[in-house]
Amino acid sequence: MMNLLLVESNRHSDALMLALQQTAIHVHKTAYSLSLPTLIKEAEPDIILFNLGVLNESVLQDLAWLNQHFPLPVIMLIADADQDVIQQLMALEVSLLQVNCLEYAELQSWLQIAVARFKQLQHLKNALEEAKAQLEDRKQIDRAKAILIKTQHYTEHEAYHTLRKLAMDRNSTLSEMAKNVIAMAELLK
Amino acid sequence: MQTFIKVIEIWIPNRSRTQLEFGSGLYGAYTEFKTASEQQCFAYDDGLPGKAWAAGHPLVLTQFEQSYFKRTEAARKAGLTCGIALPIFSGDFLLAVVVLLCGDDAEQAGAIEVWCNSDEDASNLQVMDGYYGNLKQFESISRQLSLPKGSGIAGKAWESGTPWLLEDIGKMTGFIRSKDAEQAGITTGLSIPLLNHHTQIYIMTFLSAKATPIAKRIQIWVPDEQGEQLICQQGYSKTSNNLAEMFENTTVRKGEGALGRVWLTGMPVITGGASAVYNPELDNLSSMLAIPVIQQARLSAIVTFLF
Repeated sequence: MMNLLLVESNRHSDALMLALQQTAIHVHKTAYSLSLPTLIKEAEPDIILFNLGVLNESVLQDLAWLNQHFPLPVIMLIADADQDVIQQLMALEVSLLQVNCLEYAELQSWLQIAVARFKQLQHLKNALEEAKAQLEDRKQIDRAKAILIKTQHYTEHEAYHTLRKLAMDRNSTLSEMAKNVIAMAELLK
Repeated sequence: MQTFIKVIEIWIPNRSRTQLEFGSGLYGAYTEFKTASEQQCFAYDDGLPGKAWAAGHPLVLTQFEQSYFKRTEAARKAGLTCGIALPIFSGDFLLAVVVLLCGDDAEQAGAIEVWCNSDEDASNLQVMDGYYGNLKQFESISRQLSLPKGSGIAGKAWESGTPWLLEDIGKMTGFIRSKDAEQAGITTGLSIPLLNHHTQIYIMTFLSAKATPIAKRIQIWVPDEQGEQLICQQGYSKTSNNLAEMFENTTVRKGEGALGRVWLTGMPVITGGASAVYNPELDNLSSMLAIPVIQQARLSAIVTFLF
């Protein structure tokens, strides 16, 4: 069963609680406080629903922490929001935002959309990290090849094959070997 | 891989050349000792670096308590128990002092010695001082020995005027203490000659076991016959390192890279060591100490210790 952490501040809705009770999820309700990060670590929810009257700086900081250390689907129900607030929340990767919402008939769909969006975003982020790592590896390999070309007077082809042979001899990856070549060159620099 | 030497420092004369100040160092995990050292200064004849400057030859200090060593408390906390100071002179003038610090450890096997001749016996070398760790028997034998020029690893360095690196000492016929070394677990020996005037000679020897080598790799670089570039005469590490070997096939011009700078300035250098990220699987080399061997104001060799 999915665990939902409901965080409220200056806003309470019986209708929201009723709607939540009608879903097949376990709800843990709490008032917003500065100890929210600790509570999240302990409760280990699958999704967080904020029901807030006002969005203050402290909540934004908590969202940033959450995003960095404990990424989860986040639904934000808020009484009022201007363009700046909406942009800030989007930047903090809030999965779903509802402003001044009084009807909760679609709550089940919101939950599903929030989870789906969160998963999609995580997938994209992972793919981006992987691409960045590959690009960094590529750069390291190119740098190591350049070192071998300069110091050993190899052609690019010879440099690549030497690097590959060194990596195979040590049962390591090409990028790890490239780092070693760079480190060795740095020592003699 | 554990190495025999735990900390390396280079102390250099300040602007007025009357005091030694911190130049650079490799401290590994000994961060507190590093903090205690970086702010230090040593006058002539002051502390271990200053004493080596005044003595004009290498010193081995095996007891820090109640000695002239100035960082005793920090060394005790770090478990460092022995210091070796190697002054590098060009003629009468000091260029730098390299300080090596070791720690007593039951698993360690190795020795660092200073051999010298004396006025009474100018044609033989004897141990002036040494650090032997747990190798008491080997120490006792070594201190009784007298080595003529060309004999043993120290005598070889004296005769050639260049550093000597011997692998598999136990199997060497030219090494007088080969059997004793083998029994003590010593496998590798390095000797570095340090001439003081024309008749007085000092030889530093580094003897190490496979389990705790002096460094991960040792290289001896010498100027070629034309004196135009440095070539690697010898490179050794416990396990073969084909990457290091590849770089040992290159030549180095004066002023080019770290070794070229040592040749240009006569100053020892430490490179790397900033990240200290050591990958045991790759057995990578992350830092280097390069020491110039200067004979009659000319570079005879550069010894590098790679860690």
